[in-house]
Amino acid sequence: MKDLSFATIQEIKQDLENKEYSPEDVVNFYLKRFAQVDDKVKSALEVFDKESVLKTFKCHGMLEGIPGLIKDNICQKDRITSCASKILQNYRAPYDATVIERLKEEGALLLGRANMDEFAMGSSTETSAFFKTANPWNLDCVPGGSSGGSAAAVAAGLVPWALGSETGGSVRQPAGLCGIVGLKPTYGAISRYGVVAYASSLDQVGVFTRSVYDNALVFSVLAGHDKKDASSLKLEKKDYTQVLDGSLPKGLRIGLVKTAFESEGLDSQVAQATKDAVKSLEEQGAIVQEIELPTLDYAAATYFIISRAEAASNLARFDGVRYGSRAQDIKNLEDLYVKSRSEGFGQEVQVRMMVGNYVLSAGYAGKFYHNAKKVQRLIRKDFQDAFSQVDLLVMPTQPSPAFEFGKFDDNKLQLDLQDYYTAPVNLAGCCAISLPCGFTKENMPVGFQLIGPRLSEQLLFQVGHAYQQVTDWHTKHPNL
Amino acid sequence: MSKISKEEIKNIATMTKLSIKEDDMAGIQKQFVEMLAYAERVQEVAKDIDIPSNKNINHDREDSAVVSDAADILAQAPQEEDNYFVVPKIVDSE
Repeated sequence: MKDLSFATIQEIKQDLENKEYSPEDVVNFYLKRFAQVDDKVKSALEVFDKESVLKTFKCHGMLEGIPGLIKDNICQKDRITSCASKILQNYRAPYDATVIERLKEEGALLLGRANMDEFAMGSSTETSAFFKTANPWNLDCVPGGSSGGSAAAVAAGLVPWALGSETGGSVRQPAGLCGIVGLKPTYGAISRYGVVAYASSLDQVGVFTRSVYDNALVFSVLAGHDKKDASSLKLEKKDYTQVLDGSLPKGLRIGLVKTAFESEGLDSQVAQATKDAVKSLEEQGAIVQEIELPTLDYAAATYFIISRAEAASNLARFDGVRYGSRAQDIKNLEDLYVKSRSEGFGQEVQVRMMVGNYVLSAGYAGKFYHNAKKVQRLIRKDFQDAFSQVDLLVMPTQPSPAFEFGKFDDNKLQLDLQDYYTAPVNLAGCCAISLPCGFTKENMPVGFQLIGPRLSEQLLFQVGHAYQQVTDWHTKHPNL
Repeated sequence: MSKISKEEIKNIATMTKLSIKEDDMAGIQKQFVEMLAYAERVQEVAKDIDIPSNKNINHDREDSAVVSDAADILAQAPQEEDNYFVVPKIVDSE
């Protein structure tokens, strides 16, 4: 059997079409690789057994025989969906999320559940109630988060694709830190039915892959209207790989966000790698100009307020009554709620819910929540203004390369500010893709993001694919 | 900078149906204060904004009954009996 670690979907598809091996061989290969490598990386909360993986396998479709890993806040029927939280550690999903239905329908093989920050709240995957996931490039460092397990699995060559979810950057930031491709689609492009809610006005499912081509392929399977999600856009199904010919659209205008480079928190190596990526696109024919995003420095604050507020109401449903864990030795109903929630949720989740209730409370809603919603409009307008001048924007994905475990234990605010460059995109509701664009002196990956207006995924893929034809950052991989 | 007392945090915890251990209080208070001090900056720009709200689009669907098996749902309950979720007695019989 050929070594498929770090293979792309495109390569495996080709081999399967040529009958070089079977989908069952593919499952065998990757399950064995998980057994060999994932002790070190710890990307998966659970790897399923071969029989149960093949039980739901449909022998047709765009992802026929292609294995992937699913972030553990996305429901897979009859499997545990824990959100990496003790409160849901025994919860078995009674139904498939729409994205899972679509993946199964297109022949994908779902190998397991990926580790994550508890309830997708974090930027390092350190808040998982079960264990920490390591960055495959340096096992002493975090993979980013909250979809850190999904990112680490793809970067470690354990699967060619994985699903994550984004509220303020939870796909793009770990993609950047792990040296792979991460897509945050337009709000409403992919159904959230069956995805555990964090901040519903911002949440989107996202895709991790090694190449942009693969990302377009998985997105083609997932995107499109779903009547079960009220926020789902009336989007026609289409194959986004069709137009990927490796060239940039003629006259493509790219705006380098000047404001992004004025932030004190930006690492100089990350800044340089981003500028190099823009230079490369310019050499390919893009017309580059500098753009200001005056509200950039207010986006993280706006995101903190809105996301915590929505989390406070979304997570009120976990009460130990209908599902999830229930505390023992309870005196009355109030005691049941308080004990089950206090024992079931980790500290980060508890603080976010409390901050949410605080910024929504009668005395402070005006100062925080209502102001944040106003600033969100200003941020949206900033993006609209920018997109009247250029087709795409470029910013760093991450303020710094991957950091060591525990680095921000005493400074949670700095950890939260990992969202600095990603959250504005979620607030604006547009789409963005993070692409690997270099390495630091310490051999840690760096990513930059292409940001487009709503529903411009096709253009993101086209430009990203063209960039990957003249660069080889996405073909590098760690030695494990 | 926002000053948030331990008492206020305890009140918010009660509202959130959480109880905070005394050992965790100092850390939580610090995280709370730092987060809100940073978040306060939204006030600086929010004052002069006069842009109409740009809400996400929602599509309604018909409110129709869908048959599902109650047993599947109740199987997830911490405690159930005769097709019901069981909770501690709510009304005192004193």
